[in-house]
Amino acid sequence: MTTTETPGFEVDPALHRTLENARVNVELDNGDMILNLGPQHPATHGTLRLVVRLDGERVVAADPVIGYMHRGYEKLSEFRTYPQITTLINRIDWLSSFANEVPFVSGAEQLMGVEAPPRAQWIRTILTELSRIATIYLFLGEMGLQVGALTPAFWGFRDRELVLNLIEGATGGRFHPNFNRIGGLKDDLPWGWISECRATMDKILKGCDDFEDVLVGNEIFEARTRGIGIIPGELGAAYGVSGANLRASGVDWDLRRDGKPYLAYPEIDFKVWTHPDGDSFARYWVRLQETREAVRMVIQLLDGLPAGSIMAKVPRIIKVPEGEVWVEVENPLGQMGYYIVSKGATGPFRVKIRSASFSNVSILPWLLRGVYVPDVITIMGSLYFILGDIDR
Amino acid sequence: MGLVEKGVFGKKPLKPVTWLLNYSRKYSLWMFQWGLACCAIEMGAALASPRYDMMRLGVIPFPASPRQADLVVISGTVTDKMAPAIRRLYEQMPDPKYVISMGSCANCGGPYWDSYSVTKGVDQIIPVDIYVPGCPPRPEALLEAIVMLQERIQHEGIGNDELAARWRGEYVPVETDRTPVQA
Amino acid sequence: MADETPEVGAPDAPEEAAAEAETPVAEAEAPEAAVEAEPKPAEPAPEPEPELDPEIEARFARFEAGLGDGVIDHAESHGTLVVRVRPDAWKRAAEVARADLDCDYLSFIAGMDWMPAPKTPGDEGTDTSAPVQPDTMTFGVTGSKGRFQVFAHAQSTTKHWGITLKTDVDEAAPAVDSWVSVYPGADWHERECWEMYGIDFTGHPKIRPLYLPAEFEGNPLRKDFALIAREVKPWPGLVDVEPMPGDDTPEDEGAA
Repeated sequence: MTTTETPGFEVDPALHRTLENARVNVELDNGDMILNLGPQHPATHGTLRLVVRLDGERVVAADPVIGYMHRGYEKLSEFRTYPQITTLINRIDWLSSFANEVPFVSGAEQLMGVEAPPRAQWIRTILTELSRIATIYLFLGEMGLQVGALTPAFWGFRDRELVLNLIEGATGGRFHPNFNRIGGLKDDLPWGWISECRATMDKILKGCDDFEDVLVGNEIFEARTRGIGIIPGELGAAYGVSGANLRASGVDWDLRRDGKPYLAYPEIDFKVWTHPDGDSFARYWVRLQETREAVRMVIQLLDGLPAGSIMAKVPRIIKVPEGEVWVEVENPLGQMGYYIVSKGATGPFRVKIRSASFSNVSILPWLLRGVYVPDVITIMGSLYFILGDIDR
Repeated sequence: MGLVEKGVFGKKPLKPVTWLLNYSRKYSLWMFQWGLACCAIEMGAALASPRYDMMRLGVIPFPASPRQADLVVISGTVTDKMAPAIRRLYEQMPDPKYVISMGSCANCGGPYWDSYSVTKGVDQIIPVDIYVPGCPPRPEALLEAIVMLQERIQHEGIGNDELAARWRGEYVPVETDRTPVQA
Repeated sequence: MADETPEVGAPDAPEEAAAEAETPVAEAEAPEAAVEAEPKPAEPAPEPEPELDPEIEARFARFEAGLGDGVIDHAESHGTLVVRVRPDAWKRAAEVARADLDCDYLSFIAGMDWMPAPKTPGDEGTDTSAPVQPDTMTFGVTGSKGRFQVFAHAQSTTKHWGITLKTDVDEAAPAVDSWVSVYPGADWHERECWEMYGIDFTGHPKIRPLYLPAEFEGNPLRKDFALIAREVKPWPGLVDVEPMPGDDTPEDEGAA
């Protein structure tokens, strides 16, 4: 190894070139071993490829190779109209599709000077929190899978279906609702949805207790996650790590509370959970608490749901006036932002999509240096990324 | 019903060994899942969630390697960067092998039809047996595709004609109850 | 807004920046300790814009005190402070944002191509699905000197504010300083920007493709990069040119 102070992967270009075109999975080089995980590997959660250089059992350097899911959203957005783009950006972070739509639509609304009516804002908040539950719930189960516990994964899939049913009941789409319109929502909530939602929230709370009973305090789980993969808060912020990953490092920063006020968050009471440790366990614990907090928020929102219309007055053909806007929200995976540049046409001139997982994963070369090979999997699991959110 | 009258015993001479072999093959499909994008989660729901539970159809997920898989499900967007890897792992699978293309992206590029980095359909690199439409398809749709594939396997001939052709990688039209071969 | 002011996008921007920087630098030294408080009402902004929020104005004054004459223009865009800095002050702007504004969190770095997408001659009106953008080149908030810009957003996790920084990039030799030594997370963002726009970052430890395969040619997010799938070709008008099976054996059809 040449240097240690610069981030990234420090092999010489010729060797890296060989790795890029590697046809075999394992190569031997100067006593260190290069191990290639992925792009399609059960432990990499999709199509992330990770090239790690090992010295015995210890990782000397790691280099994530991304782009296997790069679909060119930013370019395609320049060729679509605003209503068409909401269809597209559903699929960035495919586990919390609804939460992806909200910042884009609210950005377009800010440019147009339109504000969605209160009821639409509250329903948006409810569905955002539901998609947060659906996203994190899968994590809570899969994190058990990383350390060899199969049962929580099945629980995660089972109870997640209940939340998906709610989203489907309200929006018509199980995965990609495409429910937001510029100026409001497509439909109102169906009859009976609210009582069903309350019942489901009770089940989710009970599911969280189950996860906690099985994993937190479990000796194997604690041994595999405590003190593993520690992200210092300051460094994490400089890398752009956000969301629960940053809050698990003791940084008390949540855009729902601290950012520009959006949706109905200023009007409800919730706690932002942090954990001082910054290790894999802290990330699990913070997400567990966030799920419970989300349930609390949904119940509050259901209690205070205002009446009224769900759609503001917008022109039939959406033309967004000239301007630039930066919108950022707290998505289940972290900070999601859009920098929309409009030139007064029916489509944006440029959309910069700031997705959470991209920055969350960019810390991996630093984070994986010096850890053992089995911990690579738990650390990657605990960071919790979605490939579409990395590659866009 | 249809099986006894039309598929095996009707047009073709009675081949009990063929029938038995195909019957065993269709209920022990080792499925190599190639989860790429959103569809991968729906495929995971079809596999792992108790509500859908694909294993009851005789599909065995999570093989240790593509070298012991009979079926690959390409679920999600295939990018140009990913395409060589898909081709390579497909070539590693033993014959006879089947491919299910799940979701609009794998079928034709889907919403990314004009993207600079997306392959417009996985059938440009490997032959596909069954296309599952949807963005993403519901887990039930994938189960339906599995059932269709099993019908196809049941009606395949073996011996020195059809299965051998299939092993050579040639296209073999198979007549099933719902997909009669065009005369 | 800012684009109505006559200075925006003017070719002699550096001189103006030097001229207008004299007053704020001299005054901003004094209230360094009291930056948290309300801005001094007597403090003249370089371009007096009454619609700016006082908190944003104070934030900008704090930034300008650190950067000095590197600032070209600033504006507020929907609650976000946008500052355009000179290219040679790009890295110092990051240091100032991090040190003086407590922006410890890097949100993103991205490129921008202000050129309107060229219409290919001959296919006028064939691709009607894409929205029609204006033909003239305009430069958005705080303007730009040329076609390419790099913009970035940094935020503070403690003060809960942010700043969007922009700088112009020369079209002939697009390059700006790298931010990696200030924000290590800039590594991937700059690789993405290099790949998508061809903008080089001097001082980046190792710039190489991030998303696309190594053999990919072109910079996809440049406006003159055409999406080939959208190139509409006229339909030839023939349905089936190859002979259908059975065409050459008419007696079989007669028998059937």
